[in-house]
Amino acid sequence: MTRAKTWRRRLVPYLLIAPAVVYLALFFAYPMYEGLVLAIYDDDALLPVRGSPALGSDEVAKIPQGTALAVLDRQSLEMADDGATDLLTDEWFRVAGTGAGGVAVEGWVPETRVRVREQDTSGAPQAGTVRPRLGQSVDPLTVVHAEPNDRSAVVGRLEQRAPVTISEVAVLEVWFLVQPAADAASAAGWAPSRYLQVFDDGESGRVHRGTAGEFTTAFIERMVDDRFFGPALRTTLLVMALLIPVQFVLALIMALVIHSRIRLSSGFLYAFSLPIGMSDLAAGILFFSIFTGNGLLNSILDGLGIIDGPFAFLTAENTNWIIFAIVLAELWRATSIVMVILVAGLQAIPDETLEAAELFGASYQQRVRHIILPLLRPSIQVALILRTILAFQVFAVVIALSGGDVVTVLANESFRQYFDLRNNNVASAYALFILLLSIASAVFYLRSVRAESEVRAT
Amino acid sequence: MAEIRIERVNKRFGDKVAVRDISITISDREFLVLLGPSGCGKTTLLRAIAGLGMADSGRITIGGQDVTYLPPGQRQISMVFQSYAIFPHMTVRENIGFGLQMNKVDKAETKRRVTSAAELLHIEDLLDRRPSAMSGGQRQRVAVARALAMKARVLLMDEPLSNLDALLRLEMRAELKRLLADVDATTVYVTHDQIEALSMGDRVAVMRDGEIQQCDAPNVVYESPSNRFVGSFIGNPPMNFLEGTIRRTGDGVVVAAAQHDFSPVPEVQPLIRALSGDRVTLGIRAENMETLPEPGPDTVAVRVEVIEPLGAQNLLTVYVGGHRLKVSTHPSVPVTIDQELHIRFPAAQIRWIDPATDKVLYTP
Repeated sequence: MTRAKTWRRRLVPYLLIAPAVVYLALFFAYPMYEGLVLAIYDDDALLPVRGSPALGSDEVAKIPQGTALAVLDRQSLEMADDGATDLLTDEWFRVAGTGAGGVAVEGWVPETRVRVREQDTSGAPQAGTVRPRLGQSVDPLTVVHAEPNDRSAVVGRLEQRAPVTISEVAVLEVWFLVQPAADAASAAGWAPSRYLQVFDDGESGRVHRGTAGEFTTAFIERMVDDRFFGPALRTTLLVMALLIPVQFVLALIMALVIHSRIRLSSGFLYAFSLPIGMSDLAAGILFFSIFTGNGLLNSILDGLGIIDGPFAFLTAENTNWIIFAIVLAELWRATSIVMVILVAGLQAIPDETLEAAELFGASYQQRVRHIILPLLRPSIQVALILRTILAFQVFAVVIALSGGDVVTVLANESFRQYFDLRNNNVASAYALFILLLSIASAVFYLRSVRAESEVRAT
Repeated sequence: MAEIRIERVNKRFGDKVAVRDISITISDREFLVLLGPSGCGKTTLLRAIAGLGMADSGRITIGGQDVTYLPPGQRQISMVFQSYAIFPHMTVRENIGFGLQMNKVDKAETKRRVTSAAELLHIEDLLDRRPSAMSGGQRQRVAVARALAMKARVLLMDEPLSNLDALLRLEMRAELKRLLADVDATTVYVTHDQIEALSMGDRVAVMRDGEIQQCDAPNVVYESPSNRFVGSFIGNPPMNFLEGTIRRTGDGVVVAAAQHDFSPVPEVQPLIRALSGDRVTLGIRAENMETLPEPGPDTVAVRVEVIEPLGAQNLLTVYVGGHRLKVSTHPSVPVTIDQELHIRFPAAQIRWIDPATDKVLYTP
């Protein structure tokens, strides 16, 4: 075979797997990365300040968002009309008139120096008069510049109240020369007004938002400090601790019943599997209808005369009952998933292995303990990992049974941060936290319930 | 005493009858082989003895105790399974000791019996290994050691050698025979391999369609099959069969087959004479025919079609009067293809079969 052919043949598996890789990258890895980065990366954490008031000039420092600033100077700069908001702007007018000494002057003056007298239909100023300056010590003349900023050449001066025609309006953004207020020794730099909040005194302010990102634990700290974090984590772990052992015992019993091949055992399989077909929200609503004030449970208890009048199971005073209902609903809904995995595991145990155990005198309990459970270890491991991860994500059942505030869980907090509080970053921090817990539990199970390579059907 | 009595045992799976009304007594310490083609019910019968598939009707007793519906764990039996059924999560030591542990044999005794069973099968070096790292032959030894360590009164074996390759099977066959000679258990051994059955068993029970066709010592089953099936199933090559026509002469009979008149031995003459039709089947084994280079008295001329040298013998396929016969000759007899040979049929070696019932008429 030629080299090219061998090469092509080697390429085939990669070509076959390429669509899956692209799919995973596009629809799984990329959104997950983007989502999780929100939790630890603050997009606008830092404000770069520049050596001179121009976008192209060198950065001299980065000041974190929220830092208190001392404002040292200000400067207006022509700006691009980019739709930015939160700006401090200056307007300059291009004016023409008769200047001091009777010479014709044309150039730029700040908007504050002209009182507009005439406007066209669109409101654009057409003509006005130069404002007078008050006070003795000031120069009564108004300086006209060649360009719409203070630093350009002076082309003439105008008397106060001199009539001028206005031919053009320039909008300028104010830049500030700022320095962190706490540290007078640090470098001062220029930043446009849109990123700053300058207080009324004109001398102090703070960084409103930055333009450069930074990795930060701030969102995670905010999550941990959130007053719902503790209860959410506690409830999640409590539900898990109550749910998983009971669920595994039940699932194992169900699987053994099905595997025993007694009459109707395949019927049991279908009956046990039915709840898999129901969504978790529907299961939550079902159990809500059982536990609610005039629900099934109260009707039965009332009918049997055990209680007088309905007992409010699902209220803020009875959070234990809510947790009990959550565990029950999850138990009803998801035990069969574990069962299906265990049934598959049981079917992989050769009949002769169990017959041998029976023949050599092992009772049913001994067979379960010495043969079935050890051989079922890989299946139990898979089911444990799956169930634990799903338990960290428990959500819809909680929403249905508690409304999402009386009893809350981690997934619910992520949802609340995102939709109610519009805080994507903290919502992501919760999601990241759930992911880390899931990974940690999977690693824990893989190590502690290690599937020994020896455990293989012979 | 662990005599196994099986009385009128039936077992069916749905519409299929697996074991049909079988009765057999296996005496204490006997080695009985159940032999038959797949689907003949031999494994089903073994499982009924083991208690892994209860009989539908009938009675099974072991050492006088009725065990028909006793669970397998209480029958004081042990078994070697076809797939070995070794517990993959246990070491060899734990595997061999499993039955003893379950039966609450004390620790020191368990250890002693595990060690001696392992030594018997030469696997004492493997005791702390796990089966997954072992070859088929080694697993097989573990399975046998596990069964022997039980020191049960009955030892059942379900095609224990069928998963081994040919060479290993030969080796294990001899070793098993050596081991089991020293074991006090009554042994029932299921196989579809006639060589295994003939070489190992005290008695061989040949089964077909859920019934025992014949149960006798290996040489009897081989020499004197009770019916056409046993003759054709046992032996390699199988027994030759010739269709003959009965000519009743005076007080005797002559059978014409393969262009030759056969005179049956005197004991058979009245039996053939009594047959209702005029057809009878002759059966003779390949090695029981004499081949002669020259025609002699009582010989049949045949043409050699195929010569298969098998080392110890040459197997010839010869053609005579519409029949093909397998004849084995000593390698020193020179033969060529298409050569004419002359064959003599020793009257005492011919088995006479009633074509209506396929039963052998007379067993010497």
